[in-house]
Amino acid sequence: MLTFTLRRFSLFIFTMLVLTLLSFSLSFLFPGDTVINHSGQIHATPTELVELNKVYKMDENIFSQYNAYLSHILQGDLGQSMASQSPISDEIIELLPATIELSLVALLIAMLIGIPLGFIAAIRHNKTSDNAILSFAMIGYSIPVFWLGLLAIHTFSINLGWLPSAGKISLLFEIDFVTGIQFIDILLSDSPYKWQAFSNASAHIILPACVIALAPATIFIRLSRAAMIEVLAAPYIRAARAKGLSFNQIIFRHAIRNALIKIIRHVGLQFANLVTIAMVTEVIFSWPGIGRWLIESIYQRDYTAIQSGLLVLSCFIFLVHILTDFIYAALNPLARGNNHGS
Amino acid sequence: MNLLDIRNLSIELDTPNGRVLAVDKVSLSIKEGEVRGLVGESGSGKTLLAQAIIGVLEDKWHVHADRFHWRGIDLLRLTIDERRALLCRDIAMIFQEPMSCLDPTTLIGEQLSEAIDTSQLSGHFWQRKKQRKEAVIKLLHKVGIKKHSQCINSYPHQLTEAICQRVMIAIALAGRPILLIADEPTATMESTNQGQIYRLLANLNQLKNMSILLISHDLENLTHWTSTITVMYSGQFVEAGTTEQIFNKPMHPYTRALVDSSTKANLQLPSKSRLMTLPGSIPILQHLPIGCRLGPRCPRAQQSCVVAPKVSNFHGHKVSCHFPILQETTRKESTKRKPVKGVR
Repeated sequence: MLTFTLRRFSLFIFTMLVLTLLSFSLSFLFPGDTVINHSGQIHATPTELVELNKVYKMDENIFSQYNAYLSHILQGDLGQSMASQSPISDEIIELLPATIELSLVALLIAMLIGIPLGFIAAIRHNKTSDNAILSFAMIGYSIPVFWLGLLAIHTFSINLGWLPSAGKISLLFEIDFVTGIQFIDILLSDSPYKWQAFSNASAHIILPACVIALAPATIFIRLSRAAMIEVLAAPYIRAARAKGLSFNQIIFRHAIRNALIKIIRHVGLQFANLVTIAMVTEVIFSWPGIGRWLIESIYQRDYTAIQSGLLVLSCFIFLVHILTDFIYAALNPLARGNNHGS
Repeated sequence: MNLLDIRNLSIELDTPNGRVLAVDKVSLSIKEGEVRGLVGESGSGKTLLAQAIIGVLEDKWHVHADRFHWRGIDLLRLTIDERRALLCRDIAMIFQEPMSCLDPTTLIGEQLSEAIDTSQLSGHFWQRKKQRKEAVIKLLHKVGIKKHSQCINSYPHQLTEAICQRVMIAIALAGRPILLIADEPTATMESTNQGQIYRLLANLNQLKNMSILLISHDLENLTHWTSTITVMYSGQFVEAGTTEQIFNKPMHPYTRALVDSSTKANLQLPSKSRLMTLPGSIPILQHLPIGCRLGPRCPRAQQSCVVAPKVSNFHGHKVSCHFPILQETTRKESTKRKPVKGVR
């Protein structure tokens, strides 16, 4: 397990190095002065510019420039936003938790709906319910998310009036910023209207999370269906049947765990896709997350924000990948290694 | 009394080009306390037949039989669920490649304990867990695994193939079966382990009077352990009789070829000469010959072989051939072979 952890850790470090290299090179590729792209200080006076050139070692060779850039990042200095002239790291700390919250809730919904439906489809292979679930998956995968988001707002917020259409929580509730993740903050606060705030926040998150979850859920349906069909044809399932176990016992004791192992790695891979969908959805639902912020920075040509935002988001996605790898290892004894004979 | 009596069992496979008759009217009967061998080349439908008996074939296979009796009960009259419940209680099966037949993510101990029926345990529910564990350890000892605690806490991939097969046998024994179907139990093992597994099966047969249906492609090896043998070729019944009858006086040209191709039966052959073999190879499922499926390869084939032969009975020695090898088979006394039973 230790070597497993170390291996993942070194993979993380090297991937992050490559990513910083990419964001470093973006400063050269974007229009404008490189040092201004690095720091984001567009209103710098000539004396400040000289100072910045010195800090980023712009007059030395490219390696020491990269070194200087890297040390800035490691110190948590991602530069200033060109648009708002406030430190980007502060903005990210404020916005990233909202995106994490939204995408995790969406992932949870997608897994809770997609995986059981896929299992049902596999168990009822080649029957009507299988075909119905598969066609639902096909339709759900084909719907573009921006259209679905608008449709959902139109139906559930405007026509039916069940759920709010924008924002994280109603402005009436004052919640102190502690972790940034709304639900945890609400539970930590000592406001007398804690539970009202909680239900209000849940009402706000349902619609965007469901819109984000639809496409990943359909992918999970297909993945889990394929995995389950494969597992049910395996010799150990036949042996379990010959052992005299009932169908439910076989499914719950043997089939589900083995099928989940096959799926769990794909969940990590799908997470990148899900975050992309979340960025678009955040714009539609005015969710104060990093996706909306990033898209706004693209509109405003805020180069410093674009490169730092990309760096932080990819770092987050990579961390989720590593996390799913650990869950995979915990579920699968074959991945844990350490064979011993008897 | 016959434990299992199957008459004219056929298995069909759904393919894109219509149904293919994979197993064609095979009869099989097993007496109480008997070890019956089922011999045939790979692809001759032995495994299919075994899986059809225990009822674990997939939906694309269609099974029907003229008669299917288990201890005098007509199974064809029962519903599928009743039949499965009855057969799973009395028949157990061990498979080829034991490693892949154990769930890779579940501990051996759990897989063993779930095979133990609750009705075997006495006592209240809070005592059950302990009793279950004791029963698991007892089963492991019965199949000759001494390091039970290490085995219980292992995953299948941590054990050797032979130990996995012992665990499979232990799982099979958990239901206290009357008939054990062993489908090539030693296919992937080296010969020392093979001998151990066969001896274990022979012990179970002698001590517990458990009937065994032993499926193998190796006729010569099988003769050491079985009392009666059924031979199959390409999904058709070939010959059935006692081990002596099959090995010493084979009536069917195919059985004759099988016996002739074994090394022990040909000790008198000069060294470096070729063993007797039939020309060609077993037909694939898409291109089965009509009539007797051995026809194109058979040295004695004649025109009438395009019609499937009927089974003829010579004093309990059943053979399905138009031109069985009758009197001329008795060879010279010096070349007569006697299978050694029980010991290897």
